[in-house]
Amino acid sequence: MPDTHALVNEFVIKLKKRKVEGSKATAKLTAELLRSVISQQRIPHTNQAVALIDAIKSVGEQLIAANPVERDGDKVTAAKVQGFMRTGGVGLWEEATGGREKEREDGDSFGELAVGNIVRRVLHIIREEDLSLTTAAIGGLSLSAVSDDEDDVEQDGHPVLSAAAVAAAARSTLRPPSLQTLLEDLPHSAAAPPTSSSGGDSDGKSKSADKSSRSRKLKHNVIEAVNELIQDIATCHEQIAEQAVEHIHQNEVILTLGSSITVIEFLCAAKEKKRSFRVFVAEGAPRYQGHVLAKELVARGLQTTVITDSAVFAMISRVNMVIVGAHAVMANGGIIAPVGLNMVALAAQRHAVPFVVLAGIHKLCPLYPHNPEVLLNELKSPSELLDFGEFSDCLDFGSGTGYPLLHVVNPAFDYVPPKLVSLFITDTGGHNASYMYRLIADYYSADDFVVQRRPS
Amino acid sequence: MWYRSASFILDKQQEENDAEGKPESRLLSTASPSSSMADTLQNPNPQISAYYQTRAAHHGVVTTDWLAQAQAAVGRDPDDGVSEISIISTDSGKQLSVIDEFNNWRKQPDLAEAVAAIRALAWVIRSSEATTMMELEIELKKASDSLKSWDTTSISLTAGCDLFMRYVTRTSALEYEDFNSAKSRLLERAEKFGEISYKARKIIAMLSQDFIFDGCTILVHGFSRVVLEVLKTASQSRKLFRVLCTEGRPDRTGLRLSNELAKLDVPVKLLIDSAVAYSMDEVDMIFVGADGVVESGGIINMMGTYQIALVAKSMNKPVYVAAESYKFARLYPLDQKDMVPALRPIDFGVPIPSKVEVETSARDYTPPQYLTLLFTDLGVLTPSVVSDELIQLYL
Repeated sequence: MPDTHALVNEFVIKLKKRKVEGSKATAKLTAELLRSVISQQRIPHTNQAVALIDAIKSVGEQLIAANPVERDGDKVTAAKVQGFMRTGGVGLWEEATGGREKEREDGDSFGELAVGNIVRRVLHIIREEDLSLTTAAIGGLSLSAVSDDEDDVEQDGHPVLSAAAVAAAARSTLRPPSLQTLLEDLPHSAAAPPTSSSGGDSDGKSKSADKSSRSRKLKHNVIEAVNELIQDIATCHEQIAEQAVEHIHQNEVILTLGSSITVIEFLCAAKEKKRSFRVFVAEGAPRYQGHVLAKELVARGLQTTVITDSAVFAMISRVNMVIVGAHAVMANGGIIAPVGLNMVALAAQRHAVPFVVLAGIHKLCPLYPHNPEVLLNELKSPSELLDFGEFSDCLDFGSGTGYPLLHVVNPAFDYVPPKLVSLFITDTGGHNASYMYRLIADYYSADDFVVQRRPS
Repeated sequence: MWYRSASFILDKQQEENDAEGKPESRLLSTASPSSSMADTLQNPNPQISAYYQTRAAHHGVVTTDWLAQAQAAVGRDPDDGVSEISIISTDSGKQLSVIDEFNNWRKQPDLAEAVAAIRALAWVIRSSEATTMMELEIELKKASDSLKSWDTTSISLTAGCDLFMRYVTRTSALEYEDFNSAKSRLLERAEKFGEISYKARKIIAMLSQDFIFDGCTILVHGFSRVVLEVLKTASQSRKLFRVLCTEGRPDRTGLRLSNELAKLDVPVKLLIDSAVAYSMDEVDMIFVGADGVVESGGIINMMGTYQIALVAKSMNKPVYVAAESYKFARLYPLDQKDMVPALRPIDFGVPIPSKVEVETSARDYTPPQYLTLLFTDLGVLTPSVVSDELIQLYL
């Protein structure tokens, strides 16, 4: 563990200083870090899965806590901004700032959502692997236990389940709760057959001989699965880009805002397949990533037009499809995206233009945007908006009221509600916004939604 | 209306039946009951929804004459049942007493309707003399059918019966056991169900906490135990929020909720039902319970929910529904009139001339596009998930 401490700390510092940019890079680094944590973790003979999960959870907590939005300074600003945006009432402002103590306490952290996503994915992987091992073990065990079954029924008084029934029940523990399991779930904790999967005492009965081999097997399997995950993150662009020709047709006009590697790959993949189409690029103030994108596209031989962000509505009637990348996809199908995209989405809806979002599966986040204005935004430095010294006399703290009359707010993200998104293209194909919950159920287990232990 | 709804045929049939003074035997699944038996098996007062009567008795602020009316309607049936139980054959006697059993459970205000239904079915298992699973299943089926037809207006009764029947016929855990242990397992599950329902409310309350932020104003409609639990949990975790309660005419269940909230020291303001649009601009979110969640993801709930949802939609306020998952029902209403009508008396305070018609329907249907999220014990769901869950269960 001491070795991983250093690694974790290093990564935490990187996150805090925002040396890691982009959710893909963050996701990849997080997965690699967790892999090394797992491989260095010494595993006890019993409760291996629990030990692993605890280890990952504690590291995950540190990583998520490193997220810059959660720290005090930013929080105050965010609360202030919200206060001002609400009809400017003084009472409201006070409410907003007064409530911030509470928010910090119970809001899950949101800064770099990819970190949390990957931590949850890895936790899910551990649970899954543990379960598949346990069911395999029960399969073997039942052969020896069958002969005693008759006696057990009479001796114990409580009904003994056969191995197949236990296995079925164990499988249902990983699935999210459903109507089907509503009535079934409880008896396994009450009548307690000693094999309750990820619960803890998973190998109470198993022979000590295969213990060591099993513990090594679990770790091996988990690392194997994490490797697969890293692979998936690395190749998600290609898998999304593969679907490009199905969506982009000849002579179409595509609009995008800002820059996203996924979008570049997507457009270029269509170009390579001999589709000829035009791209409008909104420049994406204040970072002007759109300029970078435009250069890239021109270099690949695509007909490109650069427009200002404010010209989006003017141009949207000539556009056939809007294709954008996202920062994160929330559980209700809404997206956290670079600032300005909500406006584009509204313009697209107004003119019935499909609004398509490209998102790798690591951007899928099992959380709901409870209060997007406050929790999900990151406020960047105003230097992107103003040059140094330009407004310095307006920003003078010494003037009468004690605080400057001019505020400069530079939020990084927009929240686009699910009803504005026509289609999600992920590496597993195209999905409707209302289908996102299903993908989430596949990739995360419900126990892990809250990684941070709440102060109680 | 008739040209839009396929159900008008059903409605017409019913009207004809009523006109001829015949009992509604189409509701009964038992094979051609004799007329005297049909009378006893039937809801004593089909004109009034037993479900909403019970609700009003539990949650409403009850006026005295309405109470007298309700008692006249409810009080009649247990006596009838007891007096005739000795005369009629054992088979129908059992069905009758399922209903009695159910009514006994239902009278407890803290018990959910579905729990009462499952307890009643458990009673059938316990008193059953069946020796095979198949016999037991048939007996249960009969009992649940008679329960369902006794009060067609209660959605969670139907859903609870269906869920339990599904458990009996589908559960893999039962396949490997002998009859007696399977029977005892069924009983144990049925007993536990009350606990499940109680736990479900707690889970829903926990899930919804993230959505209630400090300084928010919440509009609630009618009385719902789940919503009360949600608000209670929020106030216990020292959240600062304000609640607007509608009055909830005619049984005035909203008054009851505002009483409960006032006990918790939550700032609460009472509105008449027609003031919803007027006060919507100060509301941050709407919380409602549900009598039933239907396959489309929409909800069937107390009259007035639909118009609140419409107003909320037009003012861009989120509408949250808190409902336990055993209220998911296999219904797909196409419009407001496409449901079994649930009627209840309305006290206007003044005599209404006989020529004036009164709309006495107790509930309406809110289509899924007006709902934002559903908080259930299965998690926070978008309306489209509901159909998915139901398909998984009943496929």
